[in-house]
Amino acid sequence: MEKFEDFLDAGGVVEPNDAMPESYRNAVFRFIELHANSEYMGGLTERDWIPKAPGLHRKLTALAKTQDEIGHAHLLYMIAADLQIKTREEMMIDLLEGRTHFHNVFHYRVHSWTDQIAVAYLVDAAALASQQAVFRNCSYGPYKRILRRVIAEEGFHMRNGEEMMLLMAHGTRTQHEMMQESINRWWLPAVQLFGPDSRPSDELLRWHIKSERNEVLRDRYVQKFVPQLLGGGFTVPDPGLRKDPVDGKWKISEIDWEPLKKTMRNGGPDSARRIADARTAWQNADWVRKALDSSSEVYA
Amino acid sequence: MTITQSDLAAVRSAVGLVTDPEYPDLTIKQLGILEDVVIDASSIRVDLVPTILGCPALSTIEKDVKLAARKLGHEVVVRFCRAPVWTPDRISPDARQILANEYTIAITPRSGRTQCPVCGARSMEKRSDVGPTACRSVHWCPECRNPIEVVRAREIKVQ
Repeated sequence: MEKFEDFLDAGGVVEPNDAMPESYRNAVFRFIELHANSEYMGGLTERDWIPKAPGLHRKLTALAKTQDEIGHAHLLYMIAADLQIKTREEMMIDLLEGRTHFHNVFHYRVHSWTDQIAVAYLVDAAALASQQAVFRNCSYGPYKRILRRVIAEEGFHMRNGEEMMLLMAHGTRTQHEMMQESINRWWLPAVQLFGPDSRPSDELLRWHIKSERNEVLRDRYVQKFVPQLLGGGFTVPDPGLRKDPVDGKWKISEIDWEPLKKTMRNGGPDSARRIADARTAWQNADWVRKALDSSSEVYA
Repeated sequence: MTITQSDLAAVRSAVGLVTDPEYPDLTIKQLGILEDVVIDASSIRVDLVPTILGCPALSTIEKDVKLAARKLGHEVVVRFCRAPVWTPDRISPDARQILANEYTIAITPRSGRTQCPVCGARSMEKRSDVGPTACRSVHWCPECRNPIEVVRAREIKVQ
């Protein structure tokens, strides 16, 4: 293990055909499975907005984003399954039975179109920042390669979210108020996406699966988004928000992580409905899977 | 205002540097999306060839093209062409290198089997006709065990 860790510290990249310690294999697998589940659940949320998005152009964007997320999940499930801990089907069943997890931001209800914009603008940006930090010196080769493309595509989503947010910021009074309500709902979940401060013993950091500490990423996000929101004429829903007179940096209130822990155990406000919805989607597509699986026999 | 040949050349080179919204290190010229820049009546027109119909990035590309021309003091008209049809053949050799090395994206060759950009094997198995974007399919390389996205080639019937 010591030799393996030296290899990782020297910037070594692990490929699927290489030998690797079981604990590393398990850690990489769990991390990728969580990411895949999150892309999948995110894709289903985006899908809900295809019929509801205002206008053809926004529908096209919602459609493309859905395809992106489901496509990312597909790629991630492929490399997760290749680690030979669970098959893709086992991962799907575990997710739909509520035995595995997905990111906190997909455990809340999306109430309105401006909520959807807040998700695209605030949440996608947080997800992108954490993915970029993983990518920077990720030690697992296939994951790093997928992240390169995921990041490129998520960057386009973010630009889209920013554009829609600015439209609302400069829109009518009602639009501005609706956008503010959505920011109020989504600010904290977005900030919490980075998770509590990293433990010093975090093996994800030690094995270069992640390259930056949670609190560093969270702080960078706050420094970027507080001025942006204020610039758009919005307020940040945090009564304790202040600018530190010494270093000039924005400081947010202490976060109570207990509700997040419950949410991450699939006990969030919308977790049950979301998982049930994903289960229905899976059942409805059963005939498609069967048809694809038997096509080689039928058409041979 | 009359448009001179040097105006046209300046716009042509500026527009050629507009990058793809998803792949900022690739230009629309390298990807073969930029067809031509011409004088149409009293204005400059930029003809673009979309990689795929219904591509959600088109309006962003249009905006970026107009902005690039505006920086030179020109208002341009952007037209998306139905012909010629975009094919992966339009991607330049240097862009192919970037796609393969940076993004692990392969391109369907005119003939023969597609090569894995990671290990060079030619034994990839197709897993899905479309991937995260409509213009790429998803393959699996059993040699290096990486999922590979491949830019799809549309079959063009020769009349």
